[in-house]
Amino acid sequence: MEKAERETIKAPSDNRYYSAAEVEDVAELDRTWASPTGIVGWFQVVNHSNIGRRYVITAFVFFLLAGVLGLMMRTQLMQPEMKLLHPDLYNQIFTMHGITMMFLFAVPVMEGLAVYIVPLMLGTRDMAFPRLNAFGYYVYLLGGITLYVALLFGIAPDAGWFNYPPLASSEFSPGMRVDIYAMLITFIEIAALVAAVELVVTIFKQRAPGMSLNRMPLYVWSILVTAFMIIFAMPVVMVASMFLAFDRNVGTHFFEALSPAGQGPLLWQHLFWFFGHPEVYIIFIPALGIISSIVTTFARRPVYGYTALVLSIVATGFLGFALWVHHMYTTGLPQLGLSFFTAASAMIAIPSGVQIFCWIATLWGGRPQFKTPLLYVLGFFFIFVLGGLTGVMIASVPFDAQVHDTYFIVAHFHYVLIGGAVFPLFGGLYYWFPKFAGRMLSETAGKWSFALMFIGFNVSFFPMHNLGLMGMPRRVYTYIEGLGWNDLNLMATVGAYVLGVGVLISLINVIYSAINGRESGPNPWDSDTLEWACASPPANYNFSPMPAVDSLHPMWDMKERGVRPAVTGVRTDMRQVLTTTLMDARPHALSNLARPSIAPLLLTGAVGLGFIGFLFSINWLILSFFLAFFAIVYWNYPRYDERTPPWKKEGENGN
Amino acid sequence: MGIRADEVPFVGAYDASHLSHFNYHDEAPMWWGFWGIIMIETTVFAALIASYYYLNLSYPEIPPAGVKKPDLLMGTISSLVLLSSSYSMHKADSASEKGDVKTLKWGLLVCIALAALFLILKVFEYSKVEYRWDSHAYGSIVWGIVIFHSAHVTSLVLKTIFIAYLSWRGYFNKDRHLGVTINGIYWHFVVIVWIPLYLVIYWSPRLF
Repeated sequence: MEKAERETIKAPSDNRYYSAAEVEDVAELDRTWASPTGIVGWFQVVNHSNIGRRYVITAFVFFLLAGVLGLMMRTQLMQPEMKLLHPDLYNQIFTMHGITMMFLFAVPVMEGLAVYIVPLMLGTRDMAFPRLNAFGYYVYLLGGITLYVALLFGIAPDAGWFNYPPLASSEFSPGMRVDIYAMLITFIEIAALVAAVELVVTIFKQRAPGMSLNRMPLYVWSILVTAFMIIFAMPVVMVASMFLAFDRNVGTHFFEALSPAGQGPLLWQHLFWFFGHPEVYIIFIPALGIISSIVTTFARRPVYGYTALVLSIVATGFLGFALWVHHMYTTGLPQLGLSFFTAASAMIAIPSGVQIFCWIATLWGGRPQFKTPLLYVLGFFFIFVLGGLTGVMIASVPFDAQVHDTYFIVAHFHYVLIGGAVFPLFGGLYYWFPKFAGRMLSETAGKWSFALMFIGFNVSFFPMHNLGLMGMPRRVYTYIEGLGWNDLNLMATVGAYVLGVGVLISLINVIYSAINGRESGPNPWDSDTLEWACASPPANYNFSPMPAVDSLHPMWDMKERGVRPAVTGVRTDMRQVLTTTLMDARPHALSNLARPSIAPLLLTGAVGLGFIGFLFSINWLILSFFLAFFAIVYWNYPRYDERTPPWKKEGENGN
Repeated sequence: MGIRADEVPFVGAYDASHLSHFNYHDEAPMWWGFWGIIMIETTVFAALIASYYYLNLSYPEIPPAGVKKPDLLMGTISSLVLLSSSYSMHKADSASEKGDVKTLKWGLLVCIALAALFLILKVFEYSKVEYRWDSHAYGSIVWGIVIFHSAHVTSLVLKTIFIAYLSWRGYFNKDRHLGVTINGIYWHFVVIVWIPLYLVIYWSPRLF
């Protein structure tokens, strides 16, 4: 529209002038997309930004809980023969620390962030299946709470996060603990899977017109690859843990140690690590996307080697499935197999190296601004490269046989996971917080937090390499005097507390800035992708009108050209979005999305009853199968007014 | 610089008002969503087959000495019943695309009947098997596969009863039949995935 035609109505949310027609559109969109309020309403919300925010907040709560468990372990190990934690409790604590970090923090936080950011980056109004989104969140929440209730009652899983039989068999782990592991892991993975399908479909079908695959932001690419990895990895751990649950409860013989060749327990290891190794990349690949976004924005230039980066993300996704046996080097597998997996493990260094060099080249050729998000990325470079180096070391069989199950491994995977996922995630938190909250985080507090986390992390985990080489096994609840481990353990504990203080500063920063921070406006960093085109925080409908794009950097183009392309003709009186073709993102249909509903909560209740009830009797599982059917019918039952808003009911029924 | 990004005017790049909101096949997010669930389930069935062969290799004899091989005749008959249901589902689905509601209504009922017959045959067959899931590892994996697949067929029957109910109520027509299509895709998947499972359970012990 012409500038002269604009009315002088200024919306406080994004500080933009609207014409009279636009004001009407926006008011109608507000009505159409409004989330229900009240306590019952809270359970009916389906909007992706609400669900995404819940995911991220819940995941950080679990991160803090698991962090506290980690500090408890470090305190116990501070000196030889400490009496702080009983060995039985210690077993539960290290198991819960691992389970929480892997299943309740890392995967959900990455998916939750994607649920929030991806639709904004794609320029659409919601995800493809909004109710499914809400269902995934409730499943995750219920599963997480149940695990922590079990910890409070002292019946939390205690056989390690990878839970090997025969230790995890009913013979050596009687009672409910391992059953809780088996059922709740299966249950929680449902959440991971539905979010993955939803992300794939949204990325495939709801990109803004013109956002062909080669104009898709790298973050979206990374989420697409991650979602596919979840689809092919998670079902396998569900099969494994259901087998285990049946072994323990109805007397099946899947993982029986007494099989003639004694290979039953190794079936568990194969199934578990076929999931478990891709899991590492499921956590790490979204971080690659976060880093690409941050590096592009703060280097003030397009990323170097877009195609190479996309190809290496995809290659990492494929190679991630060919590595699982390197967790099993000490189980006596055939030499040929070991050689193959050694080669594959070393090969993963190639795409990782390509990525690191592309980012360095981007920073080299740009004008980097060293804001907090970029500092976290630089911290990632340092820590992750060190973790990668020890990774190349333990990819070789003889070295691995030496350090297997020692603190060297603990050091390695914390370098890879904290360096590879937590640092980029904190960078992403500082980067996208203005979008979540409409306010800036404090830079000073951010830099302090980064410095303490970086120093604390290295002081805590670097000595563990040496402890491992000196022979300290992992998962011991204490050690005796005179082994020469005292000083390094003390150092690790001090480092852990420094790391904790660093995290705490960020926590306080988030809470304080959410209330008192400087207002950010829609695009505080002058970034290039579409999530910065809408208001901060985004309205429920995200965009009005829906955007179109013709390059990889829509926001920078817009600044250059002085106009931004938009889609018109999408209805504002129903939750409607545009769907586009898979490759070229040409518009080809409109899609009406589901409205808020209580059905996701009912289905969660039905499914949860089966999985939690199984701890007591298998009949609950059968009952829940049928209850779930009724919940799904209720969920999908067509309502004639579904397709038309209530005030236009007459004449349009049956569409 | 100079221009504030949030004050940039819009230009109409594309007018979507002529597009239909009835989506078919790959236009519909739901169609893709069902391919997502099919990928997940394929992975589950692949893990079951991999476990079968892993246990097969771990034991000197599978099935264990003295255990009869699965009943080839019964297994084949019930498999043919299940396969034929896919044909009637195809008929029902393509009828609904043409707006032929009558064929749709009766086709769905035939599908339900065939799937129910398959389940009855399975119950009959496995009630006569002399081992159970807790007898030995072979029993565990065979019962595991059969029960898991039968649970899928049961869910097909339930889902299709719902779809049939809607079509008898006159919900589906020439424009609105996506529900029938995606139910059909999932139906074909559960039928087709039985073929490798059938080969593994009934033929593998005879060939290896």
